[in-house]
This record gives sequence, structure tokens and C-alpha cells, in this order.
Amino acid sequence: MSATTVPANLYAAVQKRRNRGLTGLYLVVAAFLVVYAILFPGLLSVGGFSKFTQNWFPLALVTMAQALMMLNGGISLAIGPMVSLGAVIAAVTMGGPLGVLGGLIAVSVAGLFIGAVTGGIVAYLRLPAIIVTLAGSFIITGIALILLPRPGGYIPDWFSDLLAGHTPVAFGLLVLLLIGWKLYLATPLGLGIYAAGNNPVGAFRSGVPVERVKVFAFALSGLLAALAGLFVAAQTGSGDPVIGTPFTLNSIAGAVLGGVAFLGGKGTMRGVICGSLLLSVMINVMFFLGFPPVAQYVAQGLIIVGAVAIPQLTSQWRAKP
Amino acid sequence: MTKTKPLLEARQVFKGFFGNPVLKGVDIALEPGRVHALLGENGAGKSTLINLLSGALQPDKGDIVVDGKPVSRFSPAAAREAGIAVVQQELSLAAELSIAENIGLGALPRRFGLIDYKALSASVAEVCERVGLTEPLDMPVGDLSLGRRQMVEIAKALFRKPRVLILDEPTSSLSAHEAGILAGLIRKLRDEGIALLYISHRLNEVQALCSHVTVLKDGVVTADQPLAGVDDEGLVRLMVGRDAGDLFPAWQDHPAGAELIHLKKFSAGTALDVDFQASAGEIIGIGGLVGQGQEDFLLGLYGAIPASAEKAEISGSHRPLKRVEAANQAGLAYVPADRKHEGLVLPHSIASNLLLPSLGNLVKHGLRDRAAERNLVADLAKRLTIKGDVTRPVQALSGGNQQKVALAKWLPLDPSVLLLNDPTRGVDIETKREIYLMLQSFAREGKLVILLSSDTPELVHLCDRVAVFREGRVVATLPRADISEEAIVGAAMGVSAKGAAA
Amino acid sequence: MNALKSAFRNPPLLTLILVILVWIVASLTLRGFGAFGHLRYLLELSAVIGIVAAGQTLVILMGGIDLSVGAVITVTAILLPLISPDIDPTGLVGIVLALGIASSIGFLNGVGAAYLRVPPIIMTLAMATFLQGMLVIVAGGSAVSVTNATVIWLGQARPFGIPAGVLLWVAVSIVVLLIIHRMPAGARFLALGANPLATELSGVSVKRNTLLLFTLSGFFAGLAGILILGMNRQGYVGIGDPYLLTSIAAVVLGGTSILGGRGTYAGTIPGAILLVTTTALITVVNASPGWRSIMFGSLILALLLISGREARR
Repeated sequence: MSATTVPANLYAAVQKRRNRGLTGLYLVVAAFLVVYAILFPGLLSVGGFSKFTQNWFPLALVTMAQALMMLNGGISLAIGPMVSLGAVIAAVTMGGPLGVLGGLIAVSVAGLFIGAVTGGIVAYLRLPAIIVTLAGSFIITGIALILLPRPGGYIPDWFSDLLAGHTPVAFGLLVLLLIGWKLYLATPLGLGIYAAGNNPVGAFRSGVPVERVKVFAFALSGLLAALAGLFVAAQTGSGDPVIGTPFTLNSIAGAVLGGVAFLGGKGTMRGVICGSLLLSVMINVMFFLGFPPVAQYVAQGLIIVGAVAIPQLTSQWRAKP
Repeated sequence: MTKTKPLLEARQVFKGFFGNPVLKGVDIALEPGRVHALLGENGAGKSTLINLLSGALQPDKGDIVVDGKPVSRFSPAAAREAGIAVVQQELSLAAELSIAENIGLGALPRRFGLIDYKALSASVAEVCERVGLTEPLDMPVGDLSLGRRQMVEIAKALFRKPRVLILDEPTSSLSAHEAGILAGLIRKLRDEGIALLYISHRLNEVQALCSHVTVLKDGVVTADQPLAGVDDEGLVRLMVGRDAGDLFPAWQDHPAGAELIHLKKFSAGTALDVDFQASAGEIIGIGGLVGQGQEDFLLGLYGAIPASAEKAEISGSHRPLKRVEAANQAGLAYVPADRKHEGLVLPHSIASNLLLPSLGNLVKHGLRDRAAERNLVADLAKRLTIKGDVTRPVQALSGGNQQKVALAKWLPLDPSVLLLNDPTRGVDIETKREIYLMLQSFAREGKLVILLSSDTPELVHLCDRVAVFREGRVVATLPRADISEEAIVGAAMGVSAKGAAA
Repeated sequence: MNALKSAFRNPPLLTLILVILVWIVASLTLRGFGAFGHLRYLLELSAVIGIVAAGQTLVILMGGIDLSVGAVITVTAILLPLISPDIDPTGLVGIVLALGIASSIGFLNGVGAAYLRVPPIIMTLAMATFLQGMLVIVAGGSAVSVTNATVIWLGQARPFGIPAGVLLWVAVSIVVLLIIHRMPAGARFLALGANPLATELSGVSVKRNTLLLFTLSGFFAGLAGILILGMNRQGYVGIGDPYLLTSIAAVVLGGTSILGGRGTYAGTIPGAILLVTTTALITVVNASPGWRSIMFGSLILALLLISGREARR
């Protein structure tokens, strides 16, 4: 009788398997980056790289936030408003007695708290995420409007320079976040996201605390979106209660491009990062080629439909006898 | 013989759904070092009992008793704590996660809060060795065949080092080799002093492995006794409450009419190169082990999945039907096996479900003709003895009555070909009999009935011919004179009729 | 007591009772609220939402959702003045063309959802984004004024003292209620929403009905766009945006399950009125837009909690 095949390093082997199906995406991203670098050689300088990653950073964060929700089998319509709220809280607090650190904590706590409450409603009252986040989007927008009825507030210049200056701090932060994400996925609660998204009943029977997994994922998602807002505020130097609006769609587009399925449990964070990078590069390239900003929307609409429809159609076509 | 103390018991448990009692005062006691068989027809309440024993459901009345002590709020967590593991029929695996992660799920070893993959690898390898899982531990479960997934499920249960192991139809998707490994494993676990509960429809397995049996019938225990000295026929009698022969109506000859279906090398999904002929007035059985392409064959005929053929004459069409509506127009009707998901719109009323296929025919001046609809529903309810208010949601009905609705909704279209996918699964005995009588009357009226059944005696007692599927192909077509359980099972298992007297 | 219980089990009735209560209380406490003119104005606003929500109700009943209605309204409102030929004094040609465009957009949504298998929420969201970009590119960013006679009549006229928009809404309501309750199609939509697989196996084409529904949704959004244009006399980019979420909210307020398979337009009608009334009340008590938004979100959540509990997954 043949023996069980035990990989020498199980963790590494499992991680390697997760690259499967992403080769195409990696190649496309690489190709786009090359094209971009040719069109805009400045990318290869420190300043150019910094600017590029600064444009990418909030997009990466919201895409991660949305992917967390979609892995759970839901979809969030409150990502954009959460970004706005993050920006508003940052702009309102950082100039005041709380200071930058206090503002940072306030933004994080707000993101975690609102995410957790939304997650609690979805998980314990068993209501569909899409409609709860729809209601949530109104409430969050409302809070942002009350805190800051029109664009304004203040972000200290040194903080703006730190995050959105000529150094690749944003990239460093992204790397840190990714390490954090890896660690989280290596906890039972993190792994539970996949189990619960894939087969909720099975996960429940296996002793995965499905509800707690959900609340955690929602809270993290809220945190990521709020931090994206903080970054956007630092970029612009002030807060704007509706600045996050486009991010809801962006986040879905990035996640779909990154191969996250709508039915839950399928998709990888590395795919998501690539998806958001691809989206960011495309937006940049279009801007560089002189398309009007709204052309982005046209492209995004086509991209989303294409990213979902093409794999569907090819698999259908292959399945034909 | 000294009486050992049971590890897990149910005492006089009651449980009902939507007002339908499923368990009516059931007792069962699982003792260490014993393989306990739980038998009963589909719908007898086995699954519900398992869910109570594993904490997935709470009894309405009665107690779950662990180590002699009644547990007040028995949850899945409490069950795990008490060392109770269940291998369910429906798999609990996450397709995206690796074999190792799946096996460890819910009991993952940790170091500094993180999953200790090294420890996981070592301990999972050990259980995998025991159940004969040779695939790499990092392989996603989604890549495995159904049988291998079942083995992962079993490994997952063993990983928790259970004191009580409940196996619900563990062999239904296993190969003979895998089933053999499992049987050896079960004996070893028994000798280690584990209490096992074994649920299976395969009586030979039960006879070979188990020493004690509890039989459920319609939510009541009809037998709780050692298995020694009880033969297969005795077990069947306990399950159905009468001799198997009484269940089926007497054989009736019904002359075959015009040919309605003629297929050559017909393929659809997992059904491959099927040659098939059938005529009006016949009842043709489709047999074989579960999942050998039979269902895809019916779905392909019905136009629900893409099909291809060298030659296909289906009720007037000269090529495989492409859409369900086209099939309906050609006079085909299909009753799915999974009536809850495929056959009925559960939250909608009995009347809406009955009307669904014929809505377009009951129209006056472009609007729905309420009076005609009411008459039709009343007529169908009467013909099929569906009692009570037809505005109730169909999910409030018992399995048997639900099945009657799933069947009755086609009658107004007067189909000439009825494709029935396991129509008596999970149906009580009385309804079964009614359905059998209905099939016979269909044939008398000159309809063609194609009956896919996992219940071999059904095929034996009702069919003019039986086509037996194995690995997607028809391996035998038995004429009436040659139909016997032995012949069908033998063909299904790929052995000659003589050698398969199991 | 029993009546109260059955009201809770009948969401459309519950919403209607709520509307009546709010109107009575507001009329007694707020000066000017109960005036005929004011109530008529509220109804006129409700008509727009109600017409958009007609298509939305149908789509949601079948288990989908249409996030492109706002964009379709904008497209209609901007394109109609541009495509109305001057030689046609009635303006009907322009209206037919505009409705044709709106329906085609809906049809494309249906193609994406049914044939490309893109989940409806994504398909329509992508469509909305696409249209938003296209509009600016094609029509530029400036507002266009309407001269189309019929459109202006629809937005401004008050035959027998009743705004033409409200009359249009009544007509739409009759048609939609007939579709849902008295035509085979309605029963099929509901069945598809509750269990698409079983319904498909019963001979109901998922694809064809999906196409039909999204086309209808596009049509009704277009109709609402024309009405809005008539009331505003101007079309501009973003004019339809407020109606996307309000149309969904009106459906949810009316007790229709967001997951499909259960509900009726009879609930959406009071849902739309309730929505407009609440917004008006908040404006009357001089709340800021922020508070308005919060109350709006809480209202959806509250009604979801009260009526949507059996819609559990």
C-alpha cells in the first residue's frame, strides 16, 4: 500500500497551490506594467514609483476590503461611504487636540466598530449583506455629512508629506498590510473565512465559529476601507464627505479582476492585489494617453462584465460535448 | 455478558418540522466497542435522529444523554467536546482549502495564535495513513473525486479522536476498494472501544459489520435488538412493516404501442453512447449504482443539459431537445429526485406549484383565468388525494405529499413521456403504493414511463425492461423475463448474474 | 390585536397604515403639511419613484436587482431633447425613441445576466458606470433644456387638478399589478425568484424571462426619466442618481423580499409614498442632509428587521 504523500513544508505547499489559475493574471499585470514603464519611464525613479504606489494604495485597500466581503459570500455597497467617513474623521480630528495619532486611532476604531456592527447584523440576524450594507451606506454617508457638511478640515502637512510625498512610504505600508493579512489567514479565524464562505453549513458542523468569523471579516473590511479614506485625506490635505463614492465600484472591479468569485469562498488575496494593481495601471495608462477622466468609467464597466463573462463563457464552451 | 454503560443515548426524543412529527419518542443507546446499525427507509427519521445525536438539532421533547447524564442544551460544540464525531452524507468540506486544512478544521493545532502547520502536517498524515488517503496533503479538496472526498470526511472525523463515531451512508460514493478499507477501519475502531453508529442501505454491509440494530419506521423504533439470527428478509420486514411483496401492486401486462424514443450513441453529461429504445405503454426501468450517468441521461432527454447523438428520435423530434420548453411541447415531463431544490418552489403555495407548468394554458383575454385555475387545482388535489388547504406553502407538506404535488403538476399537460427520477425517495409507504398504481395507470393509458430508481425492488416489480448503467454506459438491458434483483445488482457491479447473489 | 398581527404579516398593508398614520400626525402637528397642494406635491414626487420602482420591483421579485436605473433615467433625460426631431410638433417621436433606447439598455442588461451569466447586480452596476462615462463623452457635461411638448405637458399639466405624472403612475400601477397578479408571466417571475432551478425544470425559461424583466425595468426607468425631465425642464448628468437607491428602498419598504420570490408592487406603492413623506418631514423639521441620510438608512434597516425576518437565507 502506498503511503500518504506528506509535503516537506505543508504551509509553503499550500501557499504554492494558491497561485493556481493566476498565471494569466500575473502575466497581464506584468505586461501592463512594462507598457506603463515604457510610456512613462519616470515610474522607475523613486519619485515616480512613490507617486504610482500612492495612487494604487487606496485602491488596493478597498479591493482587499471588498474581497473580504465577497469571500464571505456577500458584497458590500458601503465601501465608498466608509472611505469618505475615514477621510472625514481624519480631517476633523488630526488638526484638533487628538493630533495625528489620536486621529489615526479614531479612524481605525470607527472602521472596526461600524464593520463589526454591520457584520453582527448580517451574521446574527441572518440578513443579506447587500441590503444591510445598502442601508449602512446611507447611515455612514449621513455621519460623514454631519461631521463635515462640506469639504474642509485639516491634515497636518508633515503627515501628508510622509504618506503622499516623494518617498515610497505607501508601498511600505502595503507590504506591512500584506504581512498582516498572511498572519491573519494563518489563524484559525482567518482560515475560517474560506471555510465559511465555501460551505457554511459544513464549517458550522466542523466547529468553525461561523458568526464570529463573519463579524471579524466585516470589522477588518471596515478598517481597511476607513484607512483608505485616511490615506485619501492625507493625499488631498483635507476631508470630503463624498470623496469615497467611486470606490464602491472600484473595489468590486478590482476584486472581480483578481478572480474573487461572487458565491463566496473562492479567491486569493494575491489575486486581489494583482487585480487592484491592474485596475490602477489601466486608469493611469488611460490618463496618460489623454482619455478624459470619464472614459475610465466606460472602461471599468466593460472590464467588470468582461472579467466575469469571459471565464464563464469559456468554461461553458469547454463543457459542450 | 456484562452490560456496558452506553456513551451516548437518546431517550424518548420527539422532533417535528412545520408541524409534521418526524420522530415520535425514539430511544437509542450507543455502547463502546459495538457497531450499532440504524436502519429505516428514507423518510423514517434517521437523518433527524443523527442531527439530534450530534447536536445540530435540539429535540422538542426528550433527552440526549452523554455518559449517563442528560445534557440540557446539546450543541455541535458540546457534541465535539463529548467526543462525538459524525460523517454526514452531505460533505462538510471546503473545496478551496487543502486536504490537511479541511481535516484539521475546527481543531487546528496552534502556536502563538497561528496555525501550527508542522504539527498539523504530522497529525493529519497519521490519520490519512489509516484511511488510505495517499494524495498530497496540500491538494485542494475541490480536486478530489467524490469518493476521495468521502474518505477525507472520514479522516476528518477520526482526526478528533472520537469516542463515538456516527457514519451516515459512508459507502454510497466509495469504490469497492475504499469500502473495504473503511470496513477494516471500522472493525479496528470497534476493538479500540469506540462506539459506532452505522447507517446504510446496503444490508450486506450491515450484516458484515454490525452486531446490534435499531430499526426506525415512520419515526418510531420497531426493533432494537442484536443482529445475530436476523436475515436480510427479516430486516426488510422490520423496515417496511410487511413483506416486500405486499408493497407492490400485482403485475399487469400492458401492450407496447408506437415507438416514442429511439437513441443511438446518445451522450449527455456523464451518460455516454447510450443506445435506447422505448415505446408508448411501457414502463422502462433505469438502474445501477448511484451516479453512473442515469440522471444525466434523463436530463439530456429532457433538454435540461446539452446532449448529442448519432441518432435521436424523441417523441417526434429528430434530434436531441435543446430546451426544457421544447421537451414539454414534445410531451415530455420530468420529476426530479431532489424535489426540495429541483421539483418544487417550496415557499410557494400548493396551488402555485400545481399551476406552474400550465399557467400559459389557463388564460382568458390575456389574463389568468382564476376560475379555471381553481377548478384544475381542486381536480388535481382530489385525484391525488392531497388533503387540506391548497394555499398552504408546499413546504408544510410531508415528503410523500410533496412528491405527489411534484408529479401532479404535470398531469394537466397530459404528457406522453414521463421521466421519473427516483420518485419514491423519502416517501412514506402509503404514498409509494399510490405512486406505483399511478405508474401502472399511466402505462395503461398509453404513456411511456421511464423510471430511474435507486430502489432495485421497484424496478423488479414494475418494469417491462430495465437498462442498467455503469460508468455512464448501458451495460445491460434486461427484458421482463430476466429482471431480478440479482441480475440488476450483478450488472451494476460488473459481475455476472450468478456471482452477485449479495 | 388580531388585525394588528395580520398587518404585521402583510407588509404592504403595514406600509400603507404607516403612511396614513404619518400623514395624519404630520397634518395635525405641522402647519401646511395637510394642505391639498402639499399632499399633491408629495404624490407627484412619489410618482417618479414609484414608476422607477415598478421595474425594480419586477426585477427584485425574480431575484435580481437593477443598479442601472439611475443611469438610464439620466440617459433618457439628456438624450430625449437631443433626439426629438423638430418637425414633430407633438414630441411623441422623441418619446418613443427615448423609450426605445431605455428598453434597449435594459435588454442589454438582460443579455449580460442571462447569456453571459454575469450576476445581475454586477451587470447593472457595470452598465451604470459605462453609461455614466459614455454620456459625458457623447453629450458633453452641460445641461440640456427640453422643448418637447408632450414631455412638458407630462411634467406640468394638471388635468382635473391631478398632476399628469400621478395619472401616469396610476396607469403604470395598473399595468404592473396586472402583470404580477393576473398574468402567467407574474407567477413565473415569482417562481423564478424563489427557486430558479425547479422553475426552469417546470418548463419556464430563465433566460427569456430575465431578458423580459430587465427590458421592462429599462422601459420604466426611461418613462420615469421622461417624467423627471418634464418636471425639471432640464436634463443634466447626475439627474437620475438619487432614484437608484430610492427605488430599491421603496421596494424594500413595501415588504418585497430583496432575495426574490415574495412580494408585490402593491407594497411598493405605499413604500414610495412613505419614502417621499419621510424625506419631506425631515426637510420640514429642518434636518441636515446628513440626518436625512441616516434616518433613511435606519428606515430601510428597521423595515428589513420587521418584515424581512422570514426572508432568512
